[in-house]
Amino acid sequence: MTDFSFSEEQRDGLQELVNIAMGLASDKLARYLNTLVHLQVPAIKLVKTDYLPTHFANRYPQQSMTMISLGFFGDHGLRGETIMLYQLANVDTIAKLLGYNNDDSSEAEMLTDISSILTTTFLNGLAEQLENNFSYAAPRILSSRDQHFAEKLASTAKQWQLALQVDIRYQLIDYSFNCDMILLIPGEAVLRLRVILDKILANF
Amino acid sequence: MQLDWLLQPLLSQLNTGVLILDSQHNVVFLNQFITRRADLQLAEVEGKLVYTVFSGLPEAWLRRKLDGVLALQAPAFSSWEQRQYIIKLPHLRPVSSDSEYMAQNCSMLPLTAPDGVSQYVCLLIEDATDAYVYQHQLQQSMSMLELANRTDGLTGVYNRSYWQSQLEYETQRAARYQHPVSLLLFDLDKFKQLNDRYGHQGGDAVLIELSAMITELLRDTDLLGRYGGEEFGIILPETNLACAQLVANRICAAVAAQKILFNGQSIAVTISIGVASYTNQTADELIQQADMALYNAKRLGRNQVAVWTAD
Repeated sequence: MTDFSFSEEQRDGLQELVNIAMGLASDKLARYLNTLVHLQVPAIKLVKTDYLPTHFANRYPQQSMTMISLGFFGDHGLRGETIMLYQLANVDTIAKLLGYNNDDSSEAEMLTDISSILTTTFLNGLAEQLENNFSYAAPRILSSRDQHFAEKLASTAKQWQLALQVDIRYQLIDYSFNCDMILLIPGEAVLRLRVILDKILANF
Repeated sequence: MQLDWLLQPLLSQLNTGVLILDSQHNVVFLNQFITRRADLQLAEVEGKLVYTVFSGLPEAWLRRKLDGVLALQAPAFSSWEQRQYIIKLPHLRPVSSDSEYMAQNCSMLPLTAPDGVSQYVCLLIEDATDAYVYQHQLQQSMSMLELANRTDGLTGVYNRSYWQSQLEYETQRAARYQHPVSLLLFDLDKFKQLNDRYGHQGGDAVLIELSAMITELLRDTDLLGRYGGEEFGIILPETNLACAQLVANRICAAVAAQKILFNGQSIAVTISIGVASYTNQTADELIQQADMALYNAKRLGRNQVAVWTAD
């Protein structure tokens, strides 16, 4: 069986790159929103994908969650999928935050919009760090206000071998909200990612 | 191989709309997919604000999207499932679709010119009308199935299982809001003799006519269902016992006054009705009480209404 694990050095390297990418995203978002966005340093964890459904089911018991997926494809076989997880209670805050009040946009449209803004700004930054370029598929709603979201997460996660779990917390002056982002990467791309990381690490 | 020559034929034959806007949202380019459908010429619209070129654009929404793409240099998307179309364009399925305009998936991508300064947004528009039509048909089939699932095949009134679930629902609602609800159970008198004399087709015709006739006498909120054989039930929401009795008497008299035509013969039918009102009993108990009242109406000589009493 192929080993998809990361050495401690590779892991640290990747976490550092994710941190930088998050910082870039935060900066861009702040300018876009024309206000102060404070993005806390996200907690990042490399996990096995079969750990995810139980983890999030325990984290949000009896809650209706909305999950939105966005696929990305890069050069040199790098590809994967991000999943954003939102609690229902946060939807209004997010809407206000991004100026969606008094608007004819549906909740679904709003959340797919925000997901693609959050994930693509972050992934663009990550691609830059990896000296790569990503293109994106349109966001897809995996579950909408669904208490059984963990089952849907399980069926999506099954296809992937590696998951990068990222807790994102955005804070603005008047609002704060948090959502979860999961970065799922298939086995083949994990091997590619390791090669790229080794190359970058060698240059330090 | 020099590939520049590919660009024009590709853009003109591409089955995707390509619309390029500058950072002020003025039209820079659009391909034949759009010009042919919108009956425009690039030369006519070049340099014009996109909102003046296409009427009926969701301007506030599109402005926010485009400014987001430019500011973040990140793509934005729009799906037909959330917003059916952005630009009003005709589609090629005039017969099968009830939608006047092409359903669209749209990607909005940031572009930077070779000078490294000028920024543009490229809108790629894909025709999703097929998916829209299929989903629409699926929804229609689903609602027809739902209807069939709660309808009695012969008479077209509610079937027993749906009717009983509605009785559950109405009694729970009555309990929660302290509102009255009443129940009528009625039965065709001497249905067996009627079947013997006119045949089962005659019996069926009577049940169909009777259901239609009684439906006419009810309010929209009343629920008529076939309980089994020649027995029917009517749920009367927001109706106390006295009013329910009045309704029952009116129905009983109306049925007796009307002759039903079958194969040139006119058939006289009567019904007996049992009435009960909700007083915190379960839905099953309520049915039992109405059923006992119905039994009394039969015993007292049929073609009449009896109200359930505790003794």
